[in-house]
Amino acid sequence: MKQNRIVVRIEISTLSDADGKFNHQKMDRLAMVISNLNNSGKELILVSSGAIALGSDKLKLKKQPQSHTEMQAIAAIGQAELIRFYQHYFNQYNQIVAQVLLTSDILDNTIRVKNTQNTFNTLLEMNIIPIVNENDTVSTTDIELDDNYSLARSVATITNADMILIKMDQNSKFMIQPRGNLNAKLVMDETQLFDELEKTCMEINGSENSMVSFPLSIDDIIVNS
Amino acid sequence: MKVGTSSLSYTNGRLNFQRIGQLAHTLSAVRNKNIDVILVSSGAIGVGAGRLGMIEKPTDLAKKQALAAIGQAELIKIYQKFFEEYNQTVAQVLLTKDVITNPDRHNKAKNTLLKLLNMGVIPIINENDTISTDEIEYGDNDTLSADVATLICSDLLILLSDIDGLYSADPKKETSAEIIRTVEKITPELIRSASGAGTSFGTGGMATKLAAAKICVEANIDTIITSGNNPSIVFDILEGKEIGTHFVANNKVLQKN
Repeated sequence: MKQNRIVVRIEISTLSDADGKFNHQKMDRLAMVISNLNNSGKELILVSSGAIALGSDKLKLKKQPQSHTEMQAIAAIGQAELIRFYQHYFNQYNQIVAQVLLTSDILDNTIRVKNTQNTFNTLLEMNIIPIVNENDTVSTTDIELDDNYSLARSVATITNADMILIKMDQNSKFMIQPRGNLNAKLVMDETQLFDELEKTCMEINGSENSMVSFPLSIDDIIVNS
Repeated sequence: MKVGTSSLSYTNGRLNFQRIGQLAHTLSAVRNKNIDVILVSSGAIGVGAGRLGMIEKPTDLAKKQALAAIGQAELIKIYQKFFEEYNQTVAQVLLTKDVITNPDRHNKAKNTLLKLLNMGVIPIINENDTISTDEIEYGDNDTLSADVATLICSDLLILLSDIDGLYSADPKKETSAEIIRTVEKITPELIRSASGAGTSFGTGGMATKLAAAKICVEANIDTIITSGNNPSIVFDILEGKEIGTHFVANNKVLQKN
């Protein structure tokens, strides 16, 4: 199965230090890897959380906001920061990005799906990397409840793409789960994560030799498989 | 306050940073006076086209939506930069029409905006073009800004335009055209006579501005249409000077008569 369109879902924790502080170096690395993959001919879509974390950072809040309204307000501040940082780092690699904010009910409206599909296709044709997040400000569901998990699934469905999930387990180990070849790999730290991301995207078309077999849970069997 | 593409860019379509700087300065100063400020800003498609070095704006919808996704990211970055100069935090809020039609979403957006204002933040609003089912969902930010003004029960809507107010006739064609200082009733005739006169770069014209003014005055919100050439004109407006065309809120008209 040849698949050149990949949704990479990234949690903000992946771009942060253990104490929760945002780490610019990690975002830089991610931008480099993703830009490089794009240069290699893959089409990439990034689904990234982080609006609330960066909003809290910006306001120098000591603890995460509690109320729904407060979270939505902080997300509106933080999303502007998040996309600014992404632009900054992708710019270093001469890569243009676009911001796409969706609500989780995107799949319910067929006209909206069609439009969003067209937008994604046009952006990818123009060699631009869309950076997707939930439009928290108007979201009627719980904010970042599953850290964009279902949003990433919806984006993969809309764009008919393969999806890579990046998760962090309780031991702070990262897990890459490429869909399609039903393999996954556990990675120890961020450096390896980004290396693996690059490798996995490269290999997603065929060779499974280098992949460690890892059974996916029901939850991880994604729509297009 | 609503600014259109024509207020933010030169006639060649490229951004006028000086103008954006003035805008950030003015709104930050107003915010410092403890006045809640919301900015509704167009310009994403134009900025997106500029980012890609396109000379002409595309006409097909998918291209426009794609450019909006690129340009909105750029636009908010530029706003952040200029507002940062005045130590003013901004937030990005992208809305679609269902903010008005869907009661649940309506409440969420309202609460978020009120919370942001309460925190001293200036929300910068635009239509979420990427997912809008059609550009005509709002089409122009004039109506969006009127809906936002109504949503949060604001006291005043300022529409910055490429013309300094409503004229008795098209001032580009007729030398006898005079600016109308005060409008107490927006009649169908007024809307009809104003249609057609407008800018070639933005999507709105005088007609959509009048429609926006109508929404606001009926919700007892004063509306002013004036030129975006010098954003610091807002200081004069807040001092009560006679600027542009003032559409008087309905309750004030009633009180007067």
